[in-house]
Order: sequence, then structure tokens, then C-alpha cells
Amino acid sequence: MRRASVSMTATGVLSRIEGGYLHSFRAMASPCELRVLCDDEALSARLGRMVENEALRIERKFSRYRDDSVIGRINKAGGAAVEVDEETAGLLDYADRIYALSGGRFDITSGVLRRLWRFDGSDRIPSAAEVRSLLPLIGWRKVVWRDRRLALRAGMEIDFGGLGKEYAVDRCLLMVQAAAPATPALVNFGGDLRVSGPRADGSRWRVAIESVDGGQTYEGWLEIASGALTTSGDARRFLLKDGIRYSHILDPRTGWPVRDPPRSVTVAAATCLEAGLLSSLAMMHGRDAEAFLAREGVKAWWVRDDAATGAVTKNAS
Amino acid sequence: MQLRSRGRGRLCRTLGLLTANLFVVTGVQAQQAPSGSNEATPSTELVSDEAPQSDLGMTRIDTSVLFYQEDGGRVRTIEPVALATLNADNGDILTVKLTSDTLTGATPNGATPWTSTQTFTTPAHAPGTQSVVTGSSGGSKLVTIPGVGTIVRQYSTAPNQLPVDAGFRDQREAIDLGYSSQLNADTSLSGGLGGSVERDYTSLTGSLGGARDFNHKNTTLSASFNFEYDLSRPYFGTPTPLTVMSGDPKGPSASKRVYNVVLGVTQVMTRRWLLELNYSYGSTQGYQTDPYLIISVVDPTGAPLEYLYESRPNTRTRESVYMDNRIAVGPTFADLTARYYWDSWGIKSVTVGASDRIPLIGGLYVEPEGRYYDQTAASFFHNYLLSTQPIPTYASSDSRLSKFSAVTAGARIGLKVGSTGELYLEGERYIQTGVNHPAGAPGALAMENLFSGVSATSFVLGYTFAFY
Repeated sequence: MRRASVSMTATGVLSRIEGGYLHSFRAMASPCELRVLCDDEALSARLGRMVENEALRIERKFSRYRDDSVIGRINKAGGAAVEVDEETAGLLDYADRIYALSGGRFDITSGVLRRLWRFDGSDRIPSAAEVRSLLPLIGWRKVVWRDRRLALRAGMEIDFGGLGKEYAVDRCLLMVQAAAPATPALVNFGGDLRVSGPRADGSRWRVAIESVDGGQTYEGWLEIASGALTTSGDARRFLLKDGIRYSHILDPRTGWPVRDPPRSVTVAAATCLEAGLLSSLAMMHGRDAEAFLAREGVKAWWVRDDAATGAVTKNAS
Repeated sequence: MQLRSRGRGRLCRTLGLLTANLFVVTGVQAQQAPSGSNEATPSTELVSDEAPQSDLGMTRIDTSVLFYQEDGGRVRTIEPVALATLNADNGDILTVKLTSDTLTGATPNGATPWTSTQTFTTPAHAPGTQSVVTGSSGGSKLVTIPGVGTIVRQYSTAPNQLPVDAGFRDQREAIDLGYSSQLNADTSLSGGLGGSVERDYTSLTGSLGGARDFNHKNTTLSASFNFEYDLSRPYFGTPTPLTVMSGDPKGPSASKRVYNVVLGVTQVMTRRWLLELNYSYGSTQGYQTDPYLIISVVDPTGAPLEYLYESRPNTRTRESVYMDNRIAVGPTFADLTARYYWDSWGIKSVTVGASDRIPLIGGLYVEPEGRYYDQTAASFFHNYLLSTQPIPTYASSDSRLSKFSAVTAGARIGLKVGSTGELYLEGERYIQTGVNHPAGAPGALAMENLFSGVSATSFVLGYTFAFY
């Protein structure tokens, strides 16, 4: 979500694809697309604009880079309580429950750790004292959230990373389904995607999983007929020092990177929010990620490096 | 790659429920989404922003203690309650409630006051068992009847005082279990079992109910059936109705059965107004007399000649209609209720109530409440019986069957603790007003206060919280 990429009007491009239309645009610092399978160009254009406007609305409303967003107002309030609207309250309640459900692993106050940890492939590891000094600013249980009013402690910040984009995908897909119930559709915001159902001919949508090492190769292909897919991973985002690879998955409970997470986890679930949270939570379980996925019965695919042997294993549950 | 589907784990299922709930709250139900390119406007089916958050997947514990004290040193109750609500991941809900009551104090025995001291004689205990009556139990004493050897208990009431039995003490333990299951998105079934035990009373209850949502969950129809079996085991046995009060041992235990049906409809009227209507029909068969209550038989001067055990019909049907409006008014949350009740004993009653929850600063709220109640007397209610007239088949001087009205005023103060916890304190004052000097009271009874209804003060201190 770099400010430079924020554009606030529908400027997307509609193009013809096999069996339908593709509307592409940029939002939330990601390439975004809506694929609809129909021959109605006007309908496709209208759906495309609707999705783009909704994505931009959510970005504008919840961006942590904008002082006039809800998140900006909360973070700039200097400890004062900020009253929020119904939609924001719903998301905050949701985050509150996920915080409890995940035992504190999912925490929308953890973003301040980015001040210390910059995952640029370098070897700049913060000191234990630096990390410790930030911990008082992290922890959802330190905020006061009631009666639609949220008060952070001075210096704390929240963001909807891990929620916002996934929420946008779910909302946009539901809006497309409502507006054109018979039109098969796929909403994909930067790799977080959800489909309305099978393709027009009853077949599945094919989705490639990006290579963990970047580039133009793929780890594999998945096919889905319904629901959502998201991938969490550390492709190109890590620190390396003394032979230890520090993943960009930070544990808000300690302020340190999670030890030995898989290189990437792809999860299928009914909604993009669920898939996104399950894939992030799996990463947060580090070396126990696979056990977590198995215990929860999650449909998942993962890639893991064996640090000792350098072998790469790919697996599915 | 191969897919293997397994049963979903607890976290996974709870997450699914939370996510579905989020899209209800933030208003992206498919049929509500805008069809054009306009900015989406979140909307909601929730009636109030103050409505408690759902406890999907959580376990909620609610503990409270009730302190209840009737004026004039009458009944005092201390009642701790522990309630656990387990919200399973699949939407099923199990509730377990444990209650323990301790009741002490004096209760009116049903006799009229009189200008001189009255002495009442009652069996000391079931034959063949030891009885211990301590001095603090209200001035009653054990007396051996000369020549017979029967031990009886006697207590006296001072002139112009309401006769009460001060030896009243009971301990009640109760457990209630409830289970409700979501059959599908619109239909739920529920069932319950309960039991309570006192020294002289045992009660068993069972219930079955169903509810179904219609009209995009804006309308809910519900029906429930409740059954209750009660066994009354007075410690001296069950007296024969309308026989003279005495120290002689009485008859065996007696029981009654209660059947009750409730039909209800809940309707979302507007986003901020929820209306609930109920109709209830109940039928009771069996022993409904209070074995400890007596009624005075007085002569034309009002003086008591004898005391008879009271008598009530063995059948009773009750009906009521009930309306509940829950309305969000600005930031406050009002509850307006009304109930009309009638039964085959001739009692008709009206209840109206109102409360309003007002949020204050810092998670604090205050909820003042008021209630008004008015009832007519049962057809067989008599403050006393006249010795000059035939004894009726049914007669009771229980003030709960008399004509009276009652006002309740109270308030609740709550403090939200964390995201799921709440500490609360409730205080309530209850005042009954009845007919103190009924027309036609003979002789000096006209000067006595014949209404034995209660006024009481109660407090509830509670704490509730939920966790995964």
C-alpha cells in the first residue's frame, strides 16, 4: 500500500479473454482483476467499475497511510477514543475475536514492528533491547474497544493488514454475485482470490501458485470450483544473518520472527478472509504449521525448505 | 496436487462462523449489494448497536448472587447462581445452571391479626424422627401434650400483629440443563431438563421447543412445550384441607403436574425496533394447596374461633399474552413490556414494564427500570371465614391470591470489562399495595390490617465473561 500507487477513480482496463472479459486495475498496492464469463461487454464493464470502486472505497477508508482514513484517525488520536462506523466496528469486532481465537497470534496492533524489522534481504537484525522497547506498544488487549469507540495507548497503531484485502475480495465477489447471479466470476486482488462457482461450462478455475523464489515460474497449479484461495509466504521478504534465515512472519507476542515457517502456505476456504487468516496463522505456527493445518482439517498446500539439507518439499493436506 | 478433505477443526469452524457473522454485520448479504457502481452502503439486520455481541464458539460464564430481604424481618434469601453457556462450533448451545437458595425468616401463616395473643399449634415433626428446634428459630417451642405424649410445636403472635411462622428456613438446590441445536440456517430445536430439591419439595421440569426464521430472518415463529412434576412433602405430612389446625400427624405427600404451551412470534419491525408477541396456555392438575397455610374462622366480633388448613382447587388453567418491544433510541436501548394474564381461579392481572439502557463513559452503563402490576383476587380468596356461614369448598387467605397492585423500581449499573466481560450491580425496591381494611370486616377486625402482602428490597451482584 504505497501512497504512490493509490488512485481513487476507476481507471481500470477491460479486455476480452476466452469466454468473457477481464477488468484489471491497481488498488491496495496490488494488481487487481475481475474475470467474468459472459458475452455482455456492457455488463462486464459495469461489474468491473463496481468492483474497482468498491476496492478503492475500502482502500481509502482503511488505508493506514491516509490521515483521513478511519485507521489514520484512530492512529493519530494520541490515545483518545475514536468513534467508528458500523462497518469498521464489524471489522474491529472480527479482529477482536480472531485475536482471542488465535491466542494473540493475530493482532492488528502488531504493525509497529515494521519500524524495526525491514525485510529487504539484508542482515540488519534489530537488537533484543530494541525489540523489547516496542513491546509495550503491541497487544490488542491493551486497547479499549467498546460501544463502537476505540482508544489506543499513545504510540500504538492498528492496521487491517491480513484483513483488508481479503475483506475487499469477499465483498466484491458478493456484490458481483448479487448484481449478476448467473455470471461466473473470479475476483483476484494480488493473489488473494475467490470465485463465484464453477466456470460457465461447469469446469474449474485454474490458479497458479507463484514460485517462492520469485520469477516467472510456478510451484504448481490448483483448480477450484468454489470458494477462495490465498497464499502466505516469504518470497523475497526475509533477512539472512549468520546463516539464519529470518522470515517476515513476526510473532506479535514476542516481536521476533516466527522460527522455521514454511516458505509458503496456500489455503482453500469458503471465503477469502478465512483462507487468508488460516494461511497466515499456519505460517505463525512455524515448524508446527503442518500440524496446525492437519489439526484444523484445512485444505492446504505448502512448500518448505529443509535448512540442513537444502531440500525443498512440497505437500498438500 | 491432490486434495484431501477432513473434518474441520475447532478454530477453523469458529472462524467460519465469525466470518459469516461479519458479513451480516457489515451488510454484504448478496441480495443487499448495490447493482450499480455506487459506493456500497453498509446496512444491517441488527436491531441495535447495543445488542450484545454474539458468543459464537465461546464459553460464557455468568456468576451472580441475589440478596433479597422482605420488610418487617420477614423472608430473607441469599441465592448464588452459576451459569455456563457453551457455544459449540456448529452453532449448538449447551447451558448448565446451578442455583442454591437459602431462605430464612418469617412467613405469614394465613391467620388474621387479633386484639389478643394468638397461639398456633403444629406438628413438631414426622412421627418417629428426632426434631431439633433452636431458640433462634423465632420463639417457637416444643410442647408435650399431657396424657398423649405427642410432641407438638407452638408459637404465639402478639396482639394486633400479623401472625407469622418464624421457624421458616429452607435450602434449595437446583440444576437446569438446556440444549439448543441449529437444524439448518432457519430452524432450531431446543430441549431442557431441570430439577430442584428442598427439604419438603421436589420439582422436575422438562421442555421441548422449536423456532423457525422466515422472511430473511425478519420473522421468527416459535413454539415450546413445558412439563413440570412437583412433589410436596411437608415435614409433618399433608393436612386434609379445611380441617382444624393441630399437632396431629398428617397425610402422605402430594403431587401436581403442570403442562404449558407457549407460541411466539418475533418480528423485526424496523432496524431499531424488535417486537415479540407470546401466547401461553398452562394447565395444572393435582395438589396446589399450601400445606402450611391456615385461615381463621371468626365469630361476629371478629375473634378467632379456630384455624383451618386452607383449600384450593386441584385444577387450574392459566393463559397469558405478552408483548415485548426492544427499541434502540439514540444511543440508548429501551425495553417496553406488557402482559395480560387470566386463570380459572378468577385472577386477572396486568403487568407493564419499561427499562432503558443508557451508555455512560468508559464502558459504564446505567439501566433504570420500572414495573407496575395489578391483579384481581381469586374467587375463593377470603381474609377469614365467618363462623355464622357455611364453610366453602375452597378457601385461602394467601395474599398472593388477593387483590393487590405492586410497583417495582430499580436500576442496574454495569461496567464492561475487556471485550466480553461485564460486572454489574442491580438494586430493586418492590412494594405491594392491597386492601388493608376490607369492607364488612366484623367487629374489631375492622381495625386490624388484614393485608399480609410484602414489600422487599433486593440486590444482585454479578460478573459475566466469555472465552474460547
